[in-house]
Amino acid sequence: MNEVARIHGQLYAELHAAWAIAKKDIAIYYLKPNIIVSGALFPLFMFLAFAVGKPAGPSVMIPGLIAITILFSASSIEPVSIPIERRMKTFDRLVSAPISLNAVVLGESLSGFLYSSGIAFVPFIAGMLIFGTQILSFLPLVTGVILTAFCFATMGTLFAAYPTESPGDIMSMLNMIRLPLIFISGVFIPIESIPSIGRIAVYFSPLTYGNDLIQAAYLGNTHFNPLIDVAMLCVFILVFQIIADRLYKKFNT
Amino acid sequence: MHAIEVSHLSKQFGTLTALDDISFSVAEGETFGFLGPNGAGKTTTIRILTGISTPSAGTATIFGKDIIRETIATRKQMGIVPETSNIYDDLTGWQNLMFTAELYTVGKNEREKRGRELLELFGLSERRNNKVHDFSKGMKRRLTLAMGLINDPRLLFLDEPTSGLDVQSNLIIRDVIRDLNARGVTVFLTTHNIEEANLTCDRVAIINRGRIAAIDSPERLKKTIQSVQSIEVAFDSAAAGRIEDLKQIPKVSEVRKEGDKFRLFTEDPSSVIAAIMEYAKTNNSRVLSISTFGPSLEDVFIKLTGLEIRTKGVSTVE
Repeated sequence: MNEVARIHGQLYAELHAAWAIAKKDIAIYYLKPNIIVSGALFPLFMFLAFAVGKPAGPSVMIPGLIAITILFSASSIEPVSIPIERRMKTFDRLVSAPISLNAVVLGESLSGFLYSSGIAFVPFIAGMLIFGTQILSFLPLVTGVILTAFCFATMGTLFAAYPTESPGDIMSMLNMIRLPLIFISGVFIPIESIPSIGRIAVYFSPLTYGNDLIQAAYLGNTHFNPLIDVAMLCVFILVFQIIADRLYKKFNT
Repeated sequence: MHAIEVSHLSKQFGTLTALDDISFSVAEGETFGFLGPNGAGKTTTIRILTGISTPSAGTATIFGKDIIRETIATRKQMGIVPETSNIYDDLTGWQNLMFTAELYTVGKNEREKRGRELLELFGLSERRNNKVHDFSKGMKRRLTLAMGLINDPRLLFLDEPTSGLDVQSNLIIRDVIRDLNARGVTVFLTTHNIEEANLTCDRVAIINRGRIAAIDSPERLKKTIQSVQSIEVAFDSAAAGRIEDLKQIPKVSEVRKEGDKFRLFTEDPSSVIAAIMEYAKTNNSRVLSISTFGPSLEDVFIKLTGLEIRTKGVSTVE
Protein backbone atom coordinates (compact mmCIF):
# COMPACT_ATOMS: atom_id res chain seq x y z
CA MET A 1 0.00 0.00 0.00
CA ASN A 2 2.84 2.36 0.89
CA GLU A 3 4.48 1.61 -2.44
CA VAL A 4 1.21 2.37 -4.26
CA ALA A 5 0.88 5.68 -2.37
CA ARG A 6 4.51 6.54 -3.18
CA ILE A 7 4.02 5.84 -6.90
CA HIS A 8 0.77 7.83 -6.89
CA GLY A 9 2.51 10.73 -5.14
CA GLN A 10 5.41 10.73 -7.59
CA LEU A 11 3.07 10.52 -10.59
CA TYR A 12 1.18 13.54 -9.27
CA ALA A 13 4.47 15.40 -8.74
CA GLU A 14 5.61 14.61 -12.29
CA LEU A 15 2.36 15.77 -13.91
CA HIS A 16 2.20 18.84 -11.68
CA ALA A 17 5.75 19.81 -12.62
CA ALA A 18 5.12 19.10 -16.33
CA TRP A 19 2.12 21.43 -16.24
CA ALA A 20 4.20 24.09 -14.43
CA ILE A 21 6.85 23.86 -17.19
CA ALA A 22 4.17 24.20 -19.88
CA LYS A 23 2.66 27.26 -18.13
CA LYS A 24 6.10 28.83 -17.87
CA ASP A 25 6.71 28.31 -21.60
CA ILE A 26 3.30 29.78 -22.44
CA ALA A 27 4.09 32.90 -20.38
CA ILE A 28 7.57 33.39 -21.80
CA TYR A 29 7.81 32.05 -25.34
CA TYR A 30 4.43 32.13 -27.13
CA LEU A 31 4.83 35.73 -28.24
CA LYS A 32 8.53 35.57 -29.15
CA PRO A 33 8.90 36.86 -32.75
CA ASN A 34 10.85 33.82 -34.01
CA ILE A 35 8.14 31.48 -32.73
CA ILE A 36 5.37 33.49 -34.39
CA VAL A 37 7.30 33.47 -37.67
CA SER A 38 8.25 29.80 -37.70
CA GLY A 39 5.09 28.52 -36.02
CA ALA A 40 2.32 30.56 -37.62
CA LEU A 41 3.50 32.56 -40.65
CA PHE A 42 5.84 29.96 -42.18
CA PRO A 43 3.12 27.28 -42.71
CA LEU A 44 0.79 29.90 -44.16
CA PHE A 45 3.37 30.96 -46.75
CA MET A 46 4.20 27.32 -47.49
CA PHE A 47 0.54 26.71 -48.13
CA LEU A 48 0.16 29.75 -50.36
CA ALA A 49 3.25 28.74 -52.34
CA PHE A 50 2.15 25.18 -53.04
CA ALA A 51 -1.65 25.18 -52.91
CA VAL A 52 -2.87 28.38 -54.52
CA GLY A 53 -3.86 27.86 -58.15
CA LYS A 54 -4.34 24.12 -57.78
CA PRO A 55 -7.69 22.75 -58.95
CA ALA A 56 -8.45 21.03 -55.60
CA GLY A 57 -11.33 22.53 -53.61
CA PRO A 58 -11.26 24.02 -50.09
CA SER A 59 -12.40 20.76 -48.47
CA VAL A 60 -9.16 19.18 -49.71
CA MET A 61 -6.91 22.19 -49.11
CA ILE A 62 -8.11 23.24 -45.63
CA PRO A 63 -7.27 19.87 -43.98
CA GLY A 64 -3.82 20.12 -45.59
CA LEU A 65 -3.37 23.62 -44.25
CA ILE A 66 -4.45 22.50 -40.77
CA ALA A 67 -1.99 19.58 -40.92
CA ILE A 68 1.05 21.63 -41.94
CA THR A 69 0.10 24.39 -39.48
CA ILE A 70 0.20 21.79 -36.73
CA LEU A 71 3.49 20.36 -38.03
CA PHE A 72 5.26 23.73 -37.92
CA SER A 73 3.63 25.30 -34.86
CA ALA A 74 3.86 22.25 -32.58
CA SER A 75 7.51 21.64 -33.35
CA SER A 76 8.60 25.29 -33.08
CA ILE A 77 8.38 26.08 -29.34
CA GLU A 78 11.01 23.76 -27.84
CA PRO A 79 13.70 24.24 -30.52
CA VAL A 80 13.58 27.93 -29.55
CA SER A 81 12.92 27.74 -25.81
CA ILE A 82 15.34 24.96 -24.81
CA PRO A 83 18.52 26.41 -26.42
CA ILE A 84 17.67 29.80 -24.90
CA GLU A 85 17.22 28.12 -21.51
CA ARG A 86 20.56 26.35 -21.94
CA ARG A 87 22.20 29.70 -22.62
CA MET A 88 20.50 31.33 -19.60
CA LYS A 89 21.29 28.22 -17.48
CA THR A 90 17.59 27.96 -16.54
CA PHE A 91 17.46 24.52 -18.18
CA ASP A 92 19.64 23.28 -15.29
CA ARG A 93 16.79 24.31 -12.97
CA LEU A 94 14.49 21.87 -14.77
CA VAL A 95 16.94 18.96 -14.93
CA SER A 96 17.92 19.37 -11.26
CA ALA A 97 14.30 19.39 -9.97
CA PRO A 98 12.96 16.29 -8.16
CA ILE A 99 11.24 15.00 -11.30
CA SER A 100 12.24 12.60 -14.06
CA LEU A 101 13.51 13.75 -17.45
CA ASN A 102 10.28 12.27 -18.84
CA ALA A 103 8.34 14.93 -16.93
CA VAL A 104 10.59 17.66 -18.33
CA VAL A 105 10.09 16.32 -21.88
CA LEU A 106 6.33 16.03 -21.29
CA GLY A 107 6.11 19.59 -19.94
CA GLU A 108 8.05 21.02 -22.85
CA SER A 109 5.96 19.04 -25.36
CA LEU A 110 2.75 20.13 -23.62
CA SER A 111 3.49 23.77 -24.33
CA GLY A 112 4.06 23.02 -28.04
CA PHE A 113 0.89 20.95 -28.11
CA LEU A 114 -1.26 23.72 -26.59
CA TYR A 115 0.25 26.37 -28.86
CA SER A 116 -0.35 24.25 -31.93
CA SER A 117 -3.89 23.29 -30.96
CA GLY A 118 -4.71 27.00 -30.64
CA ILE A 119 -3.05 27.94 -33.94
CA ALA A 120 -4.88 25.08 -35.74
CA PHE A 121 -8.13 26.89 -35.03
CA VAL A 122 -7.11 29.69 -37.42
CA PRO A 123 -7.28 27.67 -40.70
CA PHE A 124 -10.27 25.75 -39.31
CA ILE A 125 -12.25 28.96 -38.67
CA ALA A 126 -10.96 30.59 -41.88
CA GLY A 127 -12.14 27.55 -43.87
CA MET A 128 -15.63 27.79 -42.40
CA LEU A 129 -16.00 31.58 -42.67
CA ILE A 130 -14.29 32.26 -46.00
CA PHE A 131 -14.81 29.04 -47.99
CA GLY A 132 -17.84 27.63 -46.17
CA THR A 133 -16.15 24.25 -45.67
CA GLN A 134 -18.34 21.69 -43.94
CA ILE A 135 -17.20 19.35 -41.19
CA LEU A 136 -18.68 15.89 -41.76
CA SER A 137 -17.45 14.47 -38.47
CA PHE A 138 -15.83 16.25 -35.53
CA LEU A 139 -14.38 13.13 -33.87
CA PRO A 140 -11.58 12.50 -36.42
CA LEU A 141 -10.87 16.27 -36.55
CA VAL A 142 -10.47 16.60 -32.77
CA THR A 143 -8.57 13.31 -32.48
CA GLY A 144 -6.36 14.18 -35.43
CA VAL A 145 -5.53 17.68 -34.18
CA ILE A 146 -4.75 16.49 -30.64
CA LEU A 147 -2.59 13.50 -31.60
CA THR A 148 -0.79 15.24 -34.47
CA ALA A 149 -0.07 18.31 -32.35
CA PHE A 150 1.28 16.19 -29.50
CA CYS A 151 3.31 14.06 -31.87
CA PHE A 152 5.08 17.02 -33.49
CA ALA A 153 5.51 18.83 -30.18
CA THR A 154 7.35 15.74 -28.90
CA MET A 155 9.39 15.67 -32.11
CA GLY A 156 10.36 19.31 -31.49
CA THR A 157 11.41 18.45 -27.94
CA LEU A 158 13.42 15.51 -29.29
CA PHE A 159 15.37 17.70 -31.73
CA ALA A 160 15.91 20.31 -29.00
CA ALA A 161 17.86 17.67 -27.04
CA TYR A 162 20.82 18.43 -29.30
CA PRO A 163 23.18 20.25 -26.91
CA THR A 164 23.40 23.70 -28.44
CA GLU A 165 22.63 27.18 -27.13
CA SER A 166 21.56 28.44 -30.57
CA PRO A 167 17.92 27.92 -31.73
CA GLY A 168 19.12 28.28 -35.35
CA ASP A 169 21.16 25.06 -35.11
CA ILE A 170 18.10 23.04 -34.16
CA MET A 171 15.75 24.77 -36.60
CA SER A 172 18.13 23.93 -39.47
CA MET A 173 18.16 20.24 -38.55
CA LEU A 174 14.42 20.23 -37.97
CA ASN A 175 13.63 21.80 -41.34
CA MET A 176 15.61 19.06 -43.06
CA ILE A 177 12.92 16.70 -41.74
CA ARG A 178 9.85 18.94 -41.70
CA LEU A 179 10.00 20.18 -45.29
CA PRO A 180 10.29 16.73 -46.97
CA LEU A 181 7.46 15.47 -44.71
CA ILE A 182 5.03 17.85 -46.46
CA PHE A 183 5.64 16.18 -49.81
CA ILE A 184 5.49 12.55 -48.73
CA SER A 185 2.44 12.72 -46.49
CA GLY A 186 -0.44 13.33 -48.88
CA VAL A 187 -0.81 17.01 -47.95
CA PHE A 188 -0.25 18.53 -51.38
CA ILE A 189 0.20 15.36 -53.43
CA PRO A 190 -2.37 12.57 -52.88
CA ILE A 191 -0.72 9.40 -51.60
CA GLU A 192 -1.97 7.50 -54.66
CA SER A 193 -0.08 9.92 -56.94
CA ILE A 194 3.25 9.66 -55.11
CA PRO A 195 5.81 7.65 -57.15
CA SER A 196 6.18 4.08 -55.88
CA ILE A 197 9.68 4.68 -54.55
CA GLY A 198 8.40 7.55 -52.37
CA ARG A 199 5.36 5.63 -51.25
CA ILE A 200 7.43 3.57 -48.81
CA ALA A 201 8.45 6.77 -47.07
CA VAL A 202 4.78 7.70 -46.64
CA TYR A 203 4.41 5.05 -43.95
CA PHE A 204 7.27 6.51 -41.89
CA SER A 205 5.79 10.01 -41.74
CA PRO A 206 3.55 10.85 -38.78
CA LEU A 207 2.08 13.65 -40.88
CA THR A 208 0.59 11.01 -43.21
CA TYR A 209 -1.59 9.64 -40.42
CA GLY A 210 -2.45 13.06 -38.96
CA ASN A 211 -3.41 14.47 -42.35
CA ASP A 212 -5.42 11.32 -43.12
CA LEU A 213 -7.46 11.72 -39.91
CA ILE A 214 -8.09 15.42 -40.46
CA GLN A 215 -9.10 14.80 -44.08
CA ALA A 216 -11.61 12.24 -42.83
CA ALA A 217 -13.42 15.03 -40.98
CA TYR A 218 -13.82 17.01 -44.21
CA LEU A 219 -14.06 14.33 -46.92
CA GLY A 220 -15.55 11.44 -45.02
CA ASN A 221 -13.06 8.92 -46.40
CA THR A 222 -9.52 7.98 -45.35
CA HIS A 223 -6.57 6.32 -47.01
CA PHE A 224 -5.94 4.18 -43.94
CA ASN A 225 -8.35 2.85 -41.35
CA PRO A 226 -8.78 5.70 -38.77
CA LEU A 227 -7.81 3.26 -36.01
CA ILE A 228 -4.51 2.67 -37.79
CA ASP A 229 -4.01 6.44 -38.03
CA VAL A 230 -4.62 6.77 -34.27
CA ALA A 231 -2.43 3.79 -33.42
CA MET A 232 0.45 5.00 -35.61
CA LEU A 233 0.35 8.51 -34.14
CA CYS A 234 0.43 7.00 -30.63
CA VAL A 235 3.42 4.84 -31.62
CA PHE A 236 5.27 7.89 -32.98
CA ILE A 237 4.55 9.87 -29.77
CA LEU A 238 5.85 7.01 -27.64
CA VAL A 239 8.98 6.52 -29.76
CA PHE A 240 9.77 10.26 -29.81
CA GLN A 241 9.22 10.50 -26.04
CA ILE A 242 11.53 7.54 -25.32
CA ILE A 243 14.27 8.77 -27.67
CA ALA A 244 13.98 12.33 -26.29
CA ASP A 245 14.28 11.04 -22.71
CA ARG A 246 17.42 9.06 -23.62
CA LEU A 247 19.00 11.96 -25.51
CA TYR A 248 18.41 14.43 -22.67
CA LYS A 249 19.93 11.89 -20.28
CA LYS A 250 22.92 11.41 -22.57
CA PHE A 251 23.59 15.10 -23.19
CA ASN A 252 22.89 16.36 -19.68
CA THR A 253 24.98 14.00 -17.58
CA MET B 1 23.87 9.69 9.45
CA HIS B 2 25.88 12.12 7.36
CA ALA B 3 24.18 14.73 5.20
CA ILE B 4 26.71 14.02 2.43
CA GLU B 5 29.01 11.03 2.09
CA VAL B 6 31.35 10.95 -0.90
CA SER B 7 33.52 7.92 -1.54
CA HIS B 8 36.27 7.64 -4.18
CA LEU B 9 34.44 9.90 -6.60
CA SER B 10 35.99 10.47 -10.02
CA LYS B 11 34.81 12.25 -13.15
CA GLN B 12 36.43 12.10 -16.57
CA PHE B 13 35.59 14.38 -19.50
CA GLY B 14 37.36 12.62 -22.35
CA THR B 15 41.03 12.71 -21.39
CA LEU B 16 40.51 15.41 -18.75
CA THR B 17 40.23 14.23 -15.15
CA ALA B 18 37.92 16.76 -13.46
CA LEU B 19 37.69 14.80 -10.19
CA ASP B 20 40.30 12.31 -9.11
CA ASP B 21 39.23 9.85 -6.40
CA ILE B 22 37.87 12.33 -3.85
CA SER B 23 36.31 11.25 -0.56
CA PHE B 24 34.77 13.34 2.22
CA SER B 25 31.71 13.58 4.41
CA VAL B 26 29.59 16.45 5.67
CA ALA B 27 27.75 16.17 8.99
CA GLU B 28 24.10 17.14 9.32
CA GLY B 29 23.78 20.82 10.28
CA GLU B 30 27.33 21.63 9.21
CA THR B 31 28.35 24.53 6.97
CA PHE B 32 30.97 22.99 4.72
CA GLY B 33 33.13 25.03 2.39
CA PHE B 34 34.59 23.71 -0.83
CA LEU B 35 37.46 25.98 -1.67
CA GLY B 36 39.54 25.92 -4.81
CA PRO B 37 40.79 27.92 -7.76
CA ASN B 38 38.77 28.11 -10.99
CA GLY B 39 38.65 24.74 -12.74
CA ALA B 40 39.57 22.81 -9.60
CA GLY B 41 36.44 20.62 -9.73
CA LYS B 42 34.07 22.49 -7.40
CA THR B 43 31.13 22.84 -9.79
CA THR B 44 31.63 19.30 -11.13
CA THR B 45 31.32 18.03 -7.55
CA ILE B 46 28.08 19.98 -7.02
CA ARG B 47 26.66 18.73 -10.33
CA ILE B 48 27.31 15.13 -9.26
CA LEU B 49 25.95 15.66 -5.74
CA THR B 50 22.75 17.18 -7.16
CA GLY B 51 22.26 14.35 -9.67
CA ILE B 52 22.72 16.52 -12.77
CA SER B 53 25.94 14.76 -13.73
CA THR B 54 26.94 11.13 -13.20
CA PRO B 55 30.34 10.17 -11.80
CA SER B 56 32.78 8.05 -13.79
CA ALA B 57 33.55 6.11 -10.59
CA GLY B 58 32.74 6.20 -6.88
CA THR B 59 29.58 6.85 -4.90
CA ALA B 60 27.81 9.77 -3.27
CA THR B 61 24.95 9.58 -0.78
CA ILE B 62 22.69 12.34 0.51
CA PHE B 63 21.14 11.59 3.93
CA GLY B 64 21.96 7.93 3.33
CA LYS B 65 20.37 7.73 -0.14
CA ASP B 66 22.46 7.06 -3.23
CA ILE B 67 22.28 10.05 -5.58
CA ILE B 68 22.36 7.86 -8.70
CA ARG B 69 19.86 5.20 -7.63
CA GLU B 70 17.49 7.52 -5.70
CA THR B 71 17.98 10.80 -7.50
CA ILE B 72 14.44 12.12 -7.13
CA ALA B 73 14.12 11.22 -3.44
CA THR B 74 17.43 12.92 -2.62
CA ARG B 75 16.64 16.04 -4.66
CA LYS B 76 13.44 16.56 -2.66
CA GLN B 77 15.59 17.26 0.39
CA MET B 78 17.92 19.76 -1.24
CA GLY B 79 17.93 23.32 -2.50
CA ILE B 80 20.32 24.35 -5.24
CA VAL B 81 21.76 27.81 -5.85
CA PRO B 82 24.02 27.60 -8.91
CA GLU B 83 26.90 29.91 -9.73
CA THR B 84 24.87 31.70 -12.41
CA SER B 85 21.61 33.28 -11.27
CA ASN B 86 19.42 31.02 -13.38
CA ILE B 87 16.14 32.85 -13.22
CA TYR B 88 13.60 33.71 -15.91
CA ASP B 89 14.06 37.35 -16.90
CA ASP B 90 10.63 37.47 -18.56
CA LEU B 91 8.82 36.37 -15.40
CA THR B 92 8.30 38.44 -12.25
CA GLY B 93 10.12 37.68 -9.02
CA TRP B 94 6.95 36.14 -7.62
CA GLN B 95 6.33 34.00 -10.74
CA ASN B 96 9.91 32.70 -10.57
CA LEU B 97 9.43 31.67 -6.95
CA MET B 98 6.07 30.02 -7.57
CA PHE B 99 7.38 28.15 -10.63
CA THR B 100 10.26 26.68 -8.60
CA ALA B 101 7.85 25.74 -5.81
CA GLU B 102 5.68 23.90 -8.33
CA LEU B 103 8.69 21.96 -9.63
CA TYR B 104 9.17 20.79 -6.02
CA THR B 105 5.42 20.08 -5.56
CA VAL B 106 5.08 22.55 -2.69
CA GLY B 107 1.33 22.94 -1.95
CA LYS B 108 -0.41 26.17 -2.99
CA ASN B 109 -0.92 27.64 0.49
CA GLU B 110 2.54 26.62 1.65
CA ARG B 111 4.31 28.00 -1.42
CA GLU B 112 2.49 31.33 -1.23
CA LYS B 113 3.28 31.65 2.50
CA ARG B 114 6.93 30.74 2.03
CA GLY B 115 7.15 32.93 -1.06
CA ARG B 116 6.01 35.99 0.89
CA GLU B 117 8.40 35.20 3.78
CA LEU B 118 11.39 34.71 1.48
CA LEU B 119 10.76 37.89 -0.50
CA GLU B 120 10.59 39.75 2.81
CA LEU B 121 13.76 38.06 4.10
CA PHE B 122 15.71 38.98 0.97
CA GLY B 123 14.36 42.52 0.73
CA LEU B 124 12.48 41.91 -2.52
CA SER B 125 8.84 42.29 -1.41
CA GLU B 126 8.37 45.67 -3.04
CA ARG B 127 9.63 44.36 -6.39
CA ARG B 128 7.71 41.07 -6.36
CA ASN B 129 5.56 41.99 -9.37
CA ASN B 130 8.40 43.44 -11.45
CA LYS B 131 9.89 41.40 -14.26
CA VAL B 132 13.33 40.16 -13.32
CA HIS B 133 15.12 41.80 -16.26
CA ASP B 134 14.74 45.07 -14.33
CA PHE B 135 16.55 43.62 -11.28
CA SER B 136 20.15 44.45 -10.34
CA LYS B 137 22.75 41.65 -10.18
CA GLY B 138 22.49 41.56 -6.38
CA MET B 139 18.68 41.34 -6.48
CA LYS B 140 18.87 38.49 -9.01
CA ARG B 141 21.30 36.66 -6.74
CA ARG B 142 19.03 37.12 -3.73
CA LEU B 143 16.05 35.87 -5.74
CA THR B 144 18.07 32.81 -6.84
CA LEU B 145 18.82 32.07 -3.20
CA ALA B 146 15.14 32.53 -2.29
CA MET B 147 14.23 30.05 -5.06
CA GLY B 148 16.74 27.59 -3.58
CA LEU B 149 14.97 27.80 -0.23
CA ILE B 150 11.35 27.66 -1.42
CA ASN B 151 11.06 23.92 -0.67
CA ASP B 152 12.49 24.36 2.87
CA PRO B 153 15.48 22.06 2.15
CA ARG B 154 17.49 20.08 4.72
CA LEU B 155 20.59 20.56 2.56
CA LEU B 156 21.47 23.66 0.56
CA PHE B 157 24.07 23.72 -2.22
CA LEU B 158 25.50 27.18 -2.79
CA ASP B 159 27.84 27.65 -5.72
CA GLU B 160 29.81 30.91 -5.35
CA PRO B 161 26.90 32.65 -3.60
CA THR B 162 28.39 36.11 -3.16
CA SER B 163 30.73 36.34 -6.13
CA GLY B 164 30.87 39.92 -7.46
CA LEU B 165 27.96 41.21 -5.36
CA ASP B 166 27.27 44.58 -3.76
CA VAL B 167 27.80 44.98 -0.01
CA GLN B 168 24.08 44.91 0.86
CA SER B 169 23.43 41.64 -1.01
CA ASN B 170 26.61 40.14 0.46
CA LEU B 171 25.53 40.92 4.02
CA ILE B 172 21.98 39.64 3.49
CA ILE B 173 23.23 36.37 2.00
CA ARG B 174 25.81 35.81 4.77
CA ASP B 175 23.15 36.48 7.42
CA VAL B 176 20.82 33.98 5.77
CA ILE B 177 23.57 31.33 5.68
CA ARG B 178 24.22 31.84 9.41
CA ASP B 179 20.50 31.67 10.14
CA LEU B 180 20.13 28.45 8.13
CA ASN B 181 23.05 26.96 10.02
CA ALA B 182 21.41 27.92 13.33
CA ARG B 183 18.21 26.14 12.21
CA GLY B 184 20.16 22.95 11.50
CA VAL B 185 20.20 23.18 7.71
CA THR B 186 23.32 21.67 6.17
CA VAL B 187 25.06 24.09 3.83
CA PHE B 188 27.54 22.98 1.15
CA LEU B 189 29.26 26.08 -0.12
CA THR B 190 31.72 26.34 -2.97
CA THR B 191 33.75 29.49 -3.18
CA HIS B 192 37.06 30.92 -4.18
CA ASN B 193 36.48 33.73 -1.69
CA ILE B 194 38.72 32.62 1.16
CA GLU B 195 37.42 35.19 3.63
CA GLU B 196 33.86 34.06 2.98
CA ALA B 197 34.81 30.46 3.78
CA ASN B 198 36.72 31.60 6.86
CA LEU B 199 33.72 33.57 8.16
CA THR B 200 30.91 31.12 7.42
CA CYS B 201 32.23 27.54 7.36
CA ASP B 202 32.59 24.98 10.16
CA ARG B 203 34.97 23.00 7.97
CA VAL B 204 36.68 23.61 4.69
CA ALA B 205 37.95 21.27 1.99
CA ILE B 206 40.59 22.65 -0.31
CA ILE B 207 40.39 21.12 -3.77
CA ASN B 208 42.94 21.56 -6.51
CA ARG B 209 43.15 19.88 -9.93
CA GLY B 210 40.38 17.47 -8.98
CA ARG B 211 42.03 16.30 -5.76
CA ILE B 212 41.35 17.23 -2.17
CA ALA B 213 44.46 18.83 -0.68
CA ALA B 214 43.14 19.22 2.89
CA ILE B 215 39.96 19.09 4.96
CA ASP B 216 39.64 20.68 8.39
CA SER B 217 38.27 23.67 10.28
CA PRO B 218 39.67 27.02 9.10
CA GLU B 219 41.57 27.53 12.37
CA ARG B 220 43.18 24.08 12.30
CA LEU B 221 44.19 24.54 8.69
CA LYS B 222 45.89 27.80 9.62
CA LYS B 223 47.81 26.03 12.38
CA THR B 224 49.29 23.57 9.89
CA ILE B 225 51.38 26.37 8.37
CA GLN B 226 52.46 28.36 11.40
CA SER B 227 55.75 28.96 9.59
CA VAL B 228 53.97 31.50 7.37
CA GLN B 229 53.69 34.50 9.67
CA SER B 230 53.76 38.10 8.55
CA ILE B 231 54.54 41.61 9.75
CA GLU B 232 52.66 44.62 8.45
CA VAL B 233 54.55 47.89 8.68
CA ALA B 234 53.79 51.49 7.66
CA PHE B 235 56.45 54.20 7.42
CA ASP B 236 55.91 57.97 7.66
CA SER B 237 57.28 58.61 4.19
CA ALA B 238 57.62 56.88 0.84
CA ALA B 239 61.10 56.03 -0.38
CA ALA B 240 62.23 54.68 -3.71
CA GLY B 241 63.54 51.13 -3.63
CA ARG B 242 62.12 50.44 -0.15
CA ILE B 243 60.63 47.09 -1.17
CA GLU B 244 64.06 45.93 -2.36
CA ASP B 245 65.67 47.12 0.92
CA LEU B 246 63.12 45.20 2.99
CA LYS B 247 63.74 42.03 0.97
CA GLN B 248 67.37 42.17 2.09
CA ILE B 249 66.41 41.70 5.78
CA PRO B 250 67.53 38.24 6.95
CA LYS B 251 64.81 35.59 7.37
CA VAL B 252 62.29 37.53 5.21
CA SER B 253 60.94 35.19 2.55
CA GLU B 254 58.67 37.62 0.68
CA VAL B 255 57.65 41.28 0.74
CA ARG B 256 54.39 42.66 -0.66
CA LYS B 257 53.30 46.27 -0.95
CA GLU B 258 49.68 46.57 0.24
CA GLY B 259 48.43 50.14 -0.17
CA ASP B 260 50.62 52.43 1.98
CA LYS B 261 51.93 49.44 3.97
CA PHE B 262 54.40 46.61 3.46
CA ARG B 263 53.79 42.98 4.41
CA LEU B 264 56.88 40.89 5.21
CA PHE B 265 56.57 37.09 5.44
CA THR B 266 58.89 35.32 7.88
CA GLU B 267 59.34 32.37 10.21
CA ASP B 268 60.93 34.61 12.85
CA PRO B 269 58.87 37.77 13.47
CA SER B 270 60.84 39.02 16.51
CA SER B 271 64.21 39.25 14.72
CA VAL B 272 62.57 40.82 11.65
CA ILE B 273 60.82 43.48 13.79
CA ALA B 274 64.17 44.41 15.29
CA ALA B 275 65.69 44.63 11.81
CA ILE B 276 62.83 46.85 10.56
CA MET B 277 63.33 49.29 13.47
CA GLU B 278 67.04 49.38 12.74
CA TYR B 279 66.34 49.98 9.02
CA ALA B 280 63.99 52.88 9.87
CA LYS B 281 66.57 54.48 12.16
CA THR B 282 69.33 54.16 9.56
CA ASN B 283 67.15 55.68 6.81
CA ASN B 284 65.73 58.53 8.94
CA SER B 285 62.20 57.12 8.69
CA ARG B 286 59.63 56.71 11.41
CA VAL B 287 57.54 53.55 11.82
CA LEU B 288 53.89 54.70 12.01
CA SER B 289 52.46 51.25 12.81
CA ILE B 290 53.69 47.68 12.99
CA SER B 291 51.61 44.52 13.54
CA THR B 292 52.22 40.81 13.40
CA PHE B 293 49.80 38.30 11.84
CA GLY B 294 49.46 34.53 12.00
CA PRO B 295 48.83 32.63 8.77
CA SER B 296 45.50 33.36 7.05
CA LEU B 297 43.30 30.84 5.30
CA GLU B 298 44.53 32.46 2.11
CA ASP B 299 48.08 31.47 3.03
CA VAL B 300 46.92 27.88 3.59
CA PHE B 301 45.11 27.96 0.27
CA ILE B 302 48.16 29.28 -1.59
CA LYS B 303 50.46 26.75 0.03
CA LEU B 304 48.19 23.77 -0.60
CA THR B 305 47.08 24.63 -4.11
CA GLY B 306 50.49 25.74 -5.32
CA LEU B 307 49.15 29.14 -6.32
CA GLU B 308 51.53 32.03 -6.12
CA ILE B 309 50.33 35.62 -6.09
CA ARG B 310 52.54 37.72 -8.27
CA THR B 311 52.41 41.43 -8.87
CA LYS B 312 50.84 40.88 -12.29
CA GLY B 313 48.20 38.37 -11.24
CA VAL B 314 47.90 34.82 -10.09
CA SER B 315 49.65 31.89 -11.67
CA THR B 316 50.17 28.25 -10.89
CA VAL B 317 53.58 27.02 -9.87
CA GLU B 318 54.76 23.43 -10.13
